[in-house]
Amino acid sequence: MGADPDSRFVEIYESTYEPILGYVLRRCPHPEDAADVVAETFTTAWRRIEELPEGDEARLWLYGVARRVLANHRRGERRHEQRTAALRERLAISPALTRPPEDEISQMGRAFRDLTDDDRELLSLVAWERLDHGQIARMLGVSRNAVRIRLYRARKRFARGLARAGIDHPRAVALEGSSL
Amino acid sequence: MNLADLAYVRDKDLAGEASVPEARALMQAIMSEGRDPVAAASTRPKGRRRLVVGLAALVTATAVAVGIGLVGGSVTSYANAAVSIEKTDEYFSVSITDPTADRRRFEEAFRAVGLNVTVKVIPVAPSDVGMLVGPIVPEGFKWHGSIGMQGITPCSSVFCAKVWMPADFPDRVVFGVGRPAKPGEPYADSSPVDPDGEEALTGYISHGETVADVRAELKRRGLKVGYRLFWKYHENGDGGFSWFDEAVPGSRVKADWTVASTRFHSSDTVDLYVRAGKDAGPTPSPHPGPQWYDLPD
Repeated sequence: MGADPDSRFVEIYESTYEPILGYVLRRCPHPEDAADVVAETFTTAWRRIEELPEGDEARLWLYGVARRVLANHRRGERRHEQRTAALRERLAISPALTRPPEDEISQMGRAFRDLTDDDRELLSLVAWERLDHGQIARMLGVSRNAVRIRLYRARKRFARGLARAGIDHPRAVALEGSSL
Repeated sequence: MNLADLAYVRDKDLAGEASVPEARALMQAIMSEGRDPVAAASTRPKGRRRLVVGLAALVTATAVAVGIGLVGGSVTSYANAAVSIEKTDEYFSVSITDPTADRRRFEEAFRAVGLNVTVKVIPVAPSDVGMLVGPIVPEGFKWHGSIGMQGITPCSSVFCAKVWMPADFPDRVVFGVGRPAKPGEPYADSSPVDPDGEEALTGYISHGETVADVRAELKRRGLKVGYRLFWKYHENGDGGFSWFDEAVPGSRVKADWTVASTRFHSSDTVDLYVRAGKDAGPTPSPHPGPQWYDLPD
């Protein structure tokens, strides 16, 4: 610790903005909506700067906040704020964020989308955020064992969904390094 | 195949984004705000003289009222098994703990802190259970100051929010508290549907698709279909356009019309909000049906 709140926030913002933006973008139906979710996430961090854990744990803490902000966002609490107008515009026109047309989305994508929110989030945290069981446990506030069991079940359900979708060899689908 | 390929953006694609002017401006905007209000949104009053005066007869054994309250006056915080409310200088901090409680438990808490409001416990989707909806001012807000509500996260209760309104506001104010809807029970509409695209289905964008395509997707997911037509009409006076929606039977909707939005009507039914096609006939007069906040308990 030791750093004043301003310096600490700047340091955390600079080191976590990109992973948090990525986390939110991957889960937001519209890229421009991500601006407000990111803004609210970091506003919470600013207001609770004394509570933020040190090092990379701050990123996990922020994933947890972003997850809750996104849940509220999906409940219809959409606020487009003046302070995010410029960022919204940037995200809306960014070529890197152009989504593929619907017909290009694979059968694997459809099976993944049909999972429950909880299953999809767990698998995403492994495949997209590259978190291990311990990190997921700290982010979600549950035990490592609970993560292990839930992940095992989520993988099974995903494998069944793939089989139903006609993908005969679900083991061909890698979950970022490890097969299903 | 790799699950990581489903992520349409990877962190490495965002390298350098933290230092673009838009991101820096957002950081500055956040830091220009005070750091205190949300962090202080505890349900326990702190550092304040704790004195229960004159209200013992007005609260039940399971409710706790704190503050300098005269008989008939208001307290600075109040908690019962359903909700706790704390008054700050600028707003009321509301934490809902039991969204299935009787509406009178919520109303007694609001009234204890000086807010004369009506509360209705309304059926909602599982993701909205516990959520505070409103404030609704059925007759329109025409008063000094402002009225509003903002959710607070993180939240250790079912739902946390800041609520503010002028203490002397004389008209009817209604809040809804979301309870789990029964299977098939219609959800209370808490906000108008956005004609520019509200999506009900996870991983499926209905906006811009034909009715036939969205209907096929719902069938694939084992969901029933309801229909609402979006009508566009001229506002009186200013020449602008407005929208309203009308529930219609499926026979009124053509398969090639375009879906604007989808919203869950109940646990097993999704309403398609469809742009009325050219052959839909003349735009009817807006005739809004009764809203949840108008219905008797």
